[in-house]
Amino acid sequence: MNFANTPRFSNQGLRPGSQLLLCVLTSLALLIGDSQFGLMDRTRDALSVVLYPIQRAVNMPMAAAAHIGEFFITQTSLKQENAELRSRELAQSARLARLTSLEQEVQQLKALNGLRTGSLQAGHLGEVLYTARDPFSYKIIIDKGLDAGLAAGLPVVDERGLVGQITRVQPLTAEVTLIIDKNQMVPVVNQRTGQRSLLYGYGGGVEVRYLPAAADIQPGDLLVTSGIDGLYSEGIPVARVTRVDRPAGASFARVLCQSIAGVQSSRYVLVLPPRAAMPPRPEPAAQPAKPKKKKDTEDEG
Amino acid sequence: MSYDRPQELLKPVKRRFITLTFALALMMELLPLPVGSTRWLPDFVGLLILYWAINQPRRIGIGMGFLIGLIVDVSTNSLFGQHALAYSVTTYLVMLRQRQLIMFNLGQQALVVLTLMLANQLTMALVRLALGSAFVGAGYFLPPLMGALLWPLLTKLLLLPYRHHTL
Repeated sequence: MNFANTPRFSNQGLRPGSQLLLCVLTSLALLIGDSQFGLMDRTRDALSVVLYPIQRAVNMPMAAAAHIGEFFITQTSLKQENAELRSRELAQSARLARLTSLEQEVQQLKALNGLRTGSLQAGHLGEVLYTARDPFSYKIIIDKGLDAGLAAGLPVVDERGLVGQITRVQPLTAEVTLIIDKNQMVPVVNQRTGQRSLLYGYGGGVEVRYLPAAADIQPGDLLVTSGIDGLYSEGIPVARVTRVDRPAGASFARVLCQSIAGVQSSRYVLVLPPRAAMPPRPEPAAQPAKPKKKKDTEDEG
Repeated sequence: MSYDRPQELLKPVKRRFITLTFALALMMELLPLPVGSTRWLPDFVGLLILYWAINQPRRIGIGMGFLIGLIVDVSTNSLFGQHALAYSVTTYLVMLRQRQLIMFNLGQQALVVLTLMLANQLTMALVRLALGSAFVGAGYFLPPLMGALLWPLLTKLLLLPYRHHTL
């Protein structure tokens, strides 16, 4: 079975070989221009606006299905959940009361020491539109962009911890590079020991690199953002150490971690506002969008 | 078309229909699917390009493969030119042997499609490795297998509107 193809009698256009050569050269130029020099960002912005309504339209049936699923929920499960929430609220309120007093105490102490306090402002709630299907990059697209005043470099969290960082802002959408992406770095501090280190994504997971083999770190340690990079506010949970190998010949320990946040599964994320208070640097400031430039300041701190 | 089966005359293909199939495939790319599924879901746009390049080489050639690849690059948020490069290479390979491919039966075609889809993935993997990404593991080469398995079904489906009689 085949379609009725009229054979090509006259030679039309370029020969396949030259067509291929043309296409390959163009795509190689595009690839290099995009990856090395970022020349295609404007084009990508424009095209993303065109694609946005399609994305929304495609998302709609999924959202509707989820909504209907929520509507037909049994009363028993609702009641059960209600009771659970009530008991949790009681427990939380007790903790909250303690926390507020502690917070006041800390504020006073910090005021005494003349330290700046990082104020926590509300962020922008973003819905994950889709995860990019490109398996080489760990990125998600959220439905807030320039319209909500987002900028590249802002940290993105979910209800459990750090998810990633905004790397590209388009008029209506923004691209979030997850912490597990290759070359994505987060300055962290070990909550148990207070030791600072750098958490690297390696494409699918996170690990702590360049930590001396004798460093005090053990499975179960919680790593939170250190906040000394001027980008992430301090104390956001990032990862938990799962395994520590100390190979005999190597000078660095191999520390594997598990991210705390549902990095690839959360549906809603919160984009935190930029940190307002940062003391001026003694040296010319590096670009705020790239935490990897901050490595030297990290070592000083 | 294999000669052991009765041959069938089909209606000519409308340009609208080709556009529609590509639009549907692109929407599949944009669907917010669960994370695990992208590990095995085939590249529908790639499959369609192969299908139309084999069956309608006058309509979908190397240049169209390149253009559609660019659209896929934007919608999947990968690097500009990555899919375009892979698709233009595979459409070229199809063009070299198109007269032969169209004579194969579905099983033979599926084998060829498997190879071509693997070539797609390999091109993209090589490009990304050359530009400094980490290798994502052998699971990256699973989608072509799914695509080849779906090939007979896809062919039957896309032929449906062009039969003179109804099934």
